[in-house]
Amino acid sequence: MIEVHGLQKLYGDFPAVQGLSFQVAPGEVLGLVGPNGAGKTTTIRSIAGIIIPSHGRIRIAGHDLATDPVAAKAALAFIPDEPHLFEYLTVEEHLRFIARLYSVGDVSAKIPVLLDELDLSDKRHALPGELSRGMKQKLAIACGLLHEPRALLLDEPLTGLDPVGIRRMKATIMRRAAAGAAIILSSHLLHLVEEICTRLLIMQRGKVVAFGTIAEIVASRPDLGTRRLEDVFLALIGQEEASER
Amino acid sequence: MIRVFGYLAWRSTRNRLARQLRHLRSPRYAAALLLGLAYLWFMVVAQRPASSATNLADARWLELVGALALLGAVAWGWIFGVERRVLAFSPAEVTFLFSGPVSRRGLIQFKLLHSQLLILFNALLWTLILSRERFGASPWLRVVSIWVLLTTLSFHRLGASFVRTSLAEHGRLGARHRIVSLGVLGVVLIALTWSIADALPRIVEARADSPFSFLAAVGEAASQPLPTALTYPFRLMVRPLTAHTLADWLDALWPALILMMLHYIWVVRSDSAFEEAAAQVSLRRARALSENPRRLASVLPASTTPPLFRLAPSGWPASAILWKNLVAVTRKRRVRNAALALAMAGAVVTVLSFEPHGTLAGIAGWLLVFWGASLIVLGPQWVRNDLRGDLPKLDLLRSYPLAGWSVVLAEVAASTLLLTAIQLSLLVIGYLAFLGNDSMYPGLEARTLALAAAFLFLPGINLLGMLIQNGAALLYPGWVRLGSGRAGGVEALGQNFLMMVAFIALLVGVLALPVAISGGAFLLLRRGIDGWAALPAATLAFLVMAYEAALLVGWLGRVFERTDPASAGIGG
Repeated sequence: MIEVHGLQKLYGDFPAVQGLSFQVAPGEVLGLVGPNGAGKTTTIRSIAGIIIPSHGRIRIAGHDLATDPVAAKAALAFIPDEPHLFEYLTVEEHLRFIARLYSVGDVSAKIPVLLDELDLSDKRHALPGELSRGMKQKLAIACGLLHEPRALLLDEPLTGLDPVGIRRMKATIMRRAAAGAAIILSSHLLHLVEEICTRLLIMQRGKVVAFGTIAEIVASRPDLGTRRLEDVFLALIGQEEASER
Repeated sequence: MIRVFGYLAWRSTRNRLARQLRHLRSPRYAAALLLGLAYLWFMVVAQRPASSATNLADARWLELVGALALLGAVAWGWIFGVERRVLAFSPAEVTFLFSGPVSRRGLIQFKLLHSQLLILFNALLWTLILSRERFGASPWLRVVSIWVLLTTLSFHRLGASFVRTSLAEHGRLGARHRIVSLGVLGVVLIALTWSIADALPRIVEARADSPFSFLAAVGEAASQPLPTALTYPFRLMVRPLTAHTLADWLDALWPALILMMLHYIWVVRSDSAFEEAAAQVSLRRARALSENPRRLASVLPASTTPPLFRLAPSGWPASAILWKNLVAVTRKRRVRNAALALAMAGAVVTVLSFEPHGTLAGIAGWLLVFWGASLIVLGPQWVRNDLRGDLPKLDLLRSYPLAGWSVVLAEVAASTLLLTAIQLSLLVIGYLAFLGNDSMYPGLEARTLALAAAFLFLPGINLLGMLIQNGAALLYPGWVRLGSGRAGGVEALGQNFLMMVAFIALLVGVLALPVAISGGAFLLLRRGIDGWAALPAATLAFLVMAYEAALLVGWLGRVFERTDPASAGIGG
């Protein structure tokens, strides 16, 4: 379970995120969408405990991120759009490193399964410098999934993956959700969001523009006479801009 | 094209400076700037200049000492090599310039000229640092003299690293392209060996008399024809600094400028040869592979070596960071080879120490002890497998389920362990070098106790030193260089010197209490147990240092938890 109450992040006087509140229940996949600079990455990094919010409260699996950060972070995984890897650890050593950090038991049995799931078995002894961009992304994903997090935060997870990798990644996300993980997925790929997200949070300039299931959001704009999320999304963003002018 | 390069260099420097200055809005940075300015004022203005200008004899000594120091720096570059960091292109430069209509030689010249900004800044710093020393003609002329000196030295180290890289990567083919450089190097090496062998007995004899006799013997040895010829280029580089009048300075400057230009030509031509050699080797390798694909494994570099120890899945979670940093060191450096070399050196000096005079072992022993001791100051700046290397990945570190103090402790533990291991190895070999020397003062028992005490207090000193360095990186990430490499080379000598002086001041501050307590304990206990008092005193020092370190770790842990990657301008 991920709970966000009144999240606000200021950079100087500039509000990157304002008054954001929502919950993601176990088994749910929340899609976070919006134009560039909408505040998606700031939101997701705040929930991951990387950025310190200016105001508001975040709880992960019942643990307050501000007062009990270690327990909260132990329950979550953050997979960024740019894989951050240690250049002198091999693929397998990355996973052993993560296993120790998150106190994962039975790691010798889990690693081969995970490497197989992400098609990395052949590269288990390779250093990151020997991996392609997509493989690095898969390794970052494997590191995020090893400790079976109850909350999963994905920022543009499909960047750099090939078609097979994309299909596998989508299946992995669905499988984790089915196993009871609460997932937040930030992406510009609306077809991906439509395919795997149970609810949608559309942001613009740090504020919520729309929040609900895809059907609810599409239904909120009957005037458009469309059932396509892309049209509704563009209209919502345009509407927001128009109202602020 | 020069205008494009000029635009890129100027705008990048200006914007970088503006970004650094923006940090001053934070009170922490503003306070640091005020402290820094006060420190410079103290060094430059408040200190009285030396009462009289140096005389001619002093100038000759300065020239000799300077030339010998440069010879040492150049020899270090040839033996241990330097990275071609001057030619390290950023990803953006690779993307835009390498694919653009720019010749390879043009790119190299651009980078060399770009490095001039840093050299000029450091020449100004050195002029400030040396402003109270009244040698040389005037501060303005000194800036030019230092600039010529640093630029020549920078070019030389770059050229040396080309030769080393070429030999390492291309073997005989690289040697063929380096025939002139290698020929000059060979002649210099022979002359150097000859000179040292010739002068050493007299210098060793004079050392036994008095320090003045020792200096006189060094001066006399340096004035012999061969050493004079050997140090001549280095004297040319130093001479403008010691000139007293404008006319003397002008006379001294033009040979130094010619030397600098010769180095420039050497570097630019060297790199072209390097490229050609690289191309030929690539061609030969491709041909070999097309004939026999199974040779692929033999021509590709070995990717990994197994870690020194395997990480167990259970235990203190933050120890994973310690393990990671130690694995990185073993992958970057050939630790096993180094350990083997140290063991062999220990065996050799032990045997040599039992020789009748043991002169060679004695010199080696003092050098090793001096080296080990100097690492107390230099080591924490040199060994950086800690938070300084990991802060660019702050996003990742902060997402881990670890308390701030445990991250800080695990990070500094890795570099502390490595530095302490290096230091103790040097001290042990130094100790072995004196093992057979019965006439030496202090005696064997005292030396053994001192070594045992070093095992107790060095980890504490190094831990505090590493905490100071890591604390600086955590508190001032916008001003401290992050990543595995520090600003190095002669280009950054001035700023590194200032940083080192500030570091020493802080280290002395944190060591004052443990030194006072353990010193008092030593004096008290010595009455009863003689030199053995060193051991409880060292233990006490370690405990006090551990307490100080615990306080610092706790504080830096809270700083880590409060550090916002976006506001600090680091991380993803």
